[in-house]
Amino acid sequence: MVGLSTGEKHFIHGGIAQDLRSDGRKRLHFRPISVETGVIPQANGSARVRLGATDVIVSIKAELGKPNSFQPDKGKVAIFIDCSPTAAPEFEGRGGEELSSELSVALERCFLGGKTGTGAGIDLSSLIVVEGKVCWDLYIDGLVISSDGNLLDALAAAIKVALSNTGIPKVNVDLGASPDDQPEVDVSDEEFLQFDTSGVPVVVTLTKVGRHYIVDATLEEESQMSSAVSVSVNRHGHICGLTKRGGAGLDPSVILDMISVAKHVSQNLISVLDSEIAAAEANADE
Amino acid sequence: MESSEGTGGLSGEIEVEAYRRLFPLPFYERHLLESVRPDARPLNRARDTTIALGPVASADGSALVKIGDTTMLAAIKLEVMTPSTDAPDEGSLAIEFQMPPICSPSVRPGRPAEVASVISKQLSDVMMSSEMINLKELSLISGKAAWMAYLDIYCLSADGCLFDAALLSAIAAFSHLQIPLVSVNDDGRVIAVFGELPEAKLKLELVNKEKRKLSLGSKPFSLTCILHEEYILADPNAEEESIMDTFVTVVLDSLGQLVSIYKPGGAALANMSTIKACIALTKSRVKELNNILSESLSEMEVD
Amino acid sequence: MATNPATYSPSQSLERRQQQQRRKIFLQADWTRTDGRSFHQCRPAFMRTGASNAASGSAYAEFGGTKVIVSVFGPRESKKAMMYSDTGRLNCNVSYTTFSTPTRGQGSDHKEYSSMLHKALEGAIILETFPKTTVDVFALVLESGGSDLPVIISCASLALADAGIMMYDLVSSVSVSCFGNNLVIDPTAEEEACQDGSLMIACMPARYEVTQLTLTGEWSTAKINEAMELCLDACLKLANIMRSCLKEIAS
Repeated sequence: MVGLSTGEKHFIHGGIAQDLRSDGRKRLHFRPISVETGVIPQANGSARVRLGATDVIVSIKAELGKPNSFQPDKGKVAIFIDCSPTAAPEFEGRGGEELSSELSVALERCFLGGKTGTGAGIDLSSLIVVEGKVCWDLYIDGLVISSDGNLLDALAAAIKVALSNTGIPKVNVDLGASPDDQPEVDVSDEEFLQFDTSGVPVVVTLTKVGRHYIVDATLEEESQMSSAVSVSVNRHGHICGLTKRGGAGLDPSVILDMISVAKHVSQNLISVLDSEIAAAEANADE
Repeated sequence: MESSEGTGGLSGEIEVEAYRRLFPLPFYERHLLESVRPDARPLNRARDTTIALGPVASADGSALVKIGDTTMLAAIKLEVMTPSTDAPDEGSLAIEFQMPPICSPSVRPGRPAEVASVISKQLSDVMMSSEMINLKELSLISGKAAWMAYLDIYCLSADGCLFDAALLSAIAAFSHLQIPLVSVNDDGRVIAVFGELPEAKLKLELVNKEKRKLSLGSKPFSLTCILHEEYILADPNAEEESIMDTFVTVVLDSLGQLVSIYKPGGAALANMSTIKACIALTKSRVKELNNILSESLSEMEVD
Repeated sequence: MATNPATYSPSQSLERRQQQQRRKIFLQADWTRTDGRSFHQCRPAFMRTGASNAASGSAYAEFGGTKVIVSVFGPRESKKAMMYSDTGRLNCNVSYTTFSTPTRGQGSDHKEYSSMLHKALEGAIILETFPKTTVDVFALVLESGGSDLPVIISCASLALADAGIMMYDLVSSVSVSCFGNNLVIDPTAEEEACQDGSLMIACMPARYEVTQLTLTGEWSTAKINEAMELCLDACLKLANIMRSCLKEIAS
């Protein structure tokens, strides 16, 4: 919970109106992003992303499973987010559950596309091993360590970085004699396939405070929002998912305007992340 | 409301609605003296009852029952199971009674009402003991496959006499139930057959030749009465149930045989003549309900 | 029930086959919908208030095969554990009956829809008018025939109006599905199962404000524009139906 005095509230509102926020940023500037990869050795891929004082870790585990009978040519992905009580006292016990499930649902919407899996940021058909029989199940687990606003964008960025860091073991398949047999699989522990992350989107949340909207809001700024729109954009500038938060209504033209701003901002974010990923990998190789 | 003005302390000076809320029991007793209830019913009259068959399109059998403002929606879904070894040529029945939060202000989400599981159990007991359904008719292939009938009853609006309404909706849903056409595929699984499928017909023998209804035995019907002093109030609504606390539920089948009688404690003790009176009331109610049900069944056949 | 033997529905395999066939059809540029509607035509909407007498307000909605009842309770005392609040609280719950879907379901609560319903409604309700108390909005989906959430939202706002809860405006909601280049409004359950993407809008038509917007799948901006216009137009028409339904009761 953020306790703000009337004066502080005015200060935040006034700063945003004049395009100079409390921490010196402009309305459409992100906080400095720092990225670390491979933070959890036993996972197939992992990343830690810090966005100002917001700190999240994402780990990705790949396990062999059976594809859904409705979609025999696609793997499965599950996203689960946990808000740690270290981030805020109110996440203690079941307190973080509501926020956790809200974040999980929003991220699934952004990364997994429509029901048929088309338009998904994560290419589900690349996860198939034997059609209708064996596929990879990706378990994406996110942990919020410290929360200072804009969790969704930070988690989405961390998932993107973790996916680029993910190696999926090469599988040798020995098809059984008859087509009904479950094929035998031999999982290599030396050869790994790199995951294709070119289509993975980033999420940009625009938070409306007063008459203006800002990106990458801090917790204090979020407490003053009337509503927020989270837009997930991929490299081609296509929208892959959208979620609105906050109860206040928005004029449709404002939403369209926000979408175009988000598209613009996202391309910067993608290039920043790309260079951070390259730098992090260079560090890891040394 | 005629009984408000008159003698007796406070009652003459305050408004009817206020009196009703402050002194519910005296308010009712004044009515009972005149042999009439606040909703203008005589003591032994049940509320208006309607049955609509087949409101749920995706179910194999369904019924919507209203007794006064108490509304029940019952639906039966048939699934295939492997029968147990003790009874290889019998199907099975699973009855569940649900009270979703929409039905009453006292039910909150996440906490199922206690009374719901009690009524579930009572319903199963009555349905099983009345032998209305011959479980052998639910058999498909002896020892291999049989129907499992899932009967789910949702209370949409709770205004007293939940058991009576739930039982009536269950009976009506079974009267509406049609067993679908099925055949067996190569893997030994039972699959549904819709319409005319010529190639499938040649290849697969139909296990169930035509859409059929169950031949129901004598149907059980029930009536709940409230006992208060020497009065017997048939088919009480929620307000009456909350004020007076002795209930007698009598279940009779359509031939007039006694299936069950249920009196869960309460302040009033029932002697033989009271019980006999309750049974007599139930007898005439059974006739009434049977007529309503056969009317709605014949209406459906006309359509 | 743990004692019950494992059962299966005989129509399962048939459905699977039908769905695969359907998906092939939807990939074509031109196809006819199973219920004979054009792509931009909504299902006939039937709405009535006063579905349940126990509640302060209630409504029943039937859009094709989707049937929903919403009851509103309160404003009533908040739960004991709740902290003091000088604005009212809104509590939403959505549940499904076990027979709502073609194969028998669990009939459990739907957490995601509950929170989406909350978000769609909270901006429209004047919470300041009932401090310290809670309004409960409970929805039960009797039959799920597609576009469930939009129907729940519209029906809930009608039930709130029936309960006399102060609102800035009614909330009406409509969704579209995207198949290749085609936009299909008010999709049925079969269509939803095969869609490439979907967009749902809940809006207050008189104020021309969007209270809730969700989008899945990959969309270009032009497509979003088109879909939003389509939805908003349909929301406007739906709100007129809702308004006339309320007027009918009042007169």
